[in-house]
Amino acid sequence: MATPPLALIAELTHRCPLHCVYCSNPLQLRANSEELPTGVWTQVLEQAAKLGMFHVHLTGGEPLARSDLNSLVSVAHSLQLYTNLITSGIGMNEKKLASLLAAGLDHLQLSFQDAEESSADRVAGVPVHARKVALANLIHECKNLAFTVNLVVHRHNLDRLDSMILFAESLGPQRIEIANVQYYGWALKNREWLLPTREQVQRSVVIVERAQERLKGQVKIDFVTPDYYASFPKPCMGGWGRQLMLVDPSGMVLPCHAAAVIPGIDFENVREKPLSWIWEESASFRRFRGEDWMPEPCRSCDRRALDFGGCRCQAFLITGDAAATDPVCSLAPTRKLIDERLARANSVTNPGYRSAPAPESADPWTYRSQPA
Amino acid sequence: MASSGSFSSGAGLTTLNRSSQPRLAVGCRVREGEDGVGALLLPEGVLRLKGTAIDILRLCDGRRTYAEILAEMQGRYQSADPKQMEQEIESFLNRLQQRRVIDF
Repeated sequence: MATPPLALIAELTHRCPLHCVYCSNPLQLRANSEELPTGVWTQVLEQAAKLGMFHVHLTGGEPLARSDLNSLVSVAHSLQLYTNLITSGIGMNEKKLASLLAAGLDHLQLSFQDAEESSADRVAGVPVHARKVALANLIHECKNLAFTVNLVVHRHNLDRLDSMILFAESLGPQRIEIANVQYYGWALKNREWLLPTREQVQRSVVIVERAQERLKGQVKIDFVTPDYYASFPKPCMGGWGRQLMLVDPSGMVLPCHAAAVIPGIDFENVREKPLSWIWEESASFRRFRGEDWMPEPCRSCDRRALDFGGCRCQAFLITGDAAATDPVCSLAPTRKLIDERLARANSVTNPGYRSAPAPESADPWTYRSQPA
Repeated sequence: MASSGSFSSGAGLTTLNRSSQPRLAVGCRVREGEDGVGALLLPEGVLRLKGTAIDILRLCDGRRTYAEILAEMQGRYQSADPKQMEQEIESFLNRLQQRRVIDF
């Protein structure tokens, strides 16, 4: 029998007031009319607790767009689940924050698109940065709420990483997460604009290490490196069906944010099957669990228990075969597909080399759309 | 010294001493398991804790001093070398403080 999952990612809605060009939601957004009602989410939380999960990550889209967010936090808390709200902050106010705290919210992660207002708003596609800063001040006042500032980094802000870290620090979090864009969903669509240069990446590693040393014991800094520049793949989600379950707004149960893109897998729905059955028995969660599915060079690789062959979604999106070795691996036969991308990113003729496209640009980036 | 005025309560450049009163930092809590194995829940994940680690964390209630925690642990594990135990507990608490899991 499979070891129980650690955490539930509850993607409550795909509605979001922001239109970030690197949104990790799928290109096929779930319509408002497909969203699960409160009663089904409540059952999902009960099943998650029964399965032995520790955390529930409430996310979206923008989870504040759900009018039942407070009661879902309250249910999760009463089930002893650790509740984490992953939010853009838009839709929050002092009153809502107070009631989420009273409902038992443990932690809030607030994302910022940049430290500079104009750049941040250009990435989000709407002017929201100033409101987020105001909200961060409110959150900082809540002494019983753990607070993480999340900064997404890419080609157009990595050169300002130093000042972005100072900005994040000034908001008073316990933790700063600096996450390089990962190329799924909308980010993959905009990859040409977002992929950083090698020099940017090398500099950023030094900047983060210096900040970690400087803030030791005061602010914990976690850094998600860009895997295209790595020699070995990331252990995506801690392995397929090994640690996490994601329920999308319609109730579809996935091993990660992106897996719905993989053809030929019938993902189950919480409206039809309990989470425990899906975790233990479903063909979808067993599809890439363990090592039986692995091709060479993974099958005989010493690292297979460290990275589990990397990311199945990335393998599919780049090679067309979800059962291939993750192409970012230096041992993968398809690594050249990544190297070609890096060569373009490091070429001065790349259209995104200097600046992010203006909205009126002839070849603009694609803003995330809104669900029907 | 960096300005600590803008940081959340408890975050500072203090070091562990005998009168420190360690407590779990905001956003961190211990959940008891059915099998005696505890779980330390953090914003970004979970650490499974066994034996003395969970014992020590239960004592980090913000009231007991570090000296009292040491005495309590040394009383419970009388066969252990007290000097070595002190070193281990000190290093454990310092590591957790650097990860922002406990405040002094």
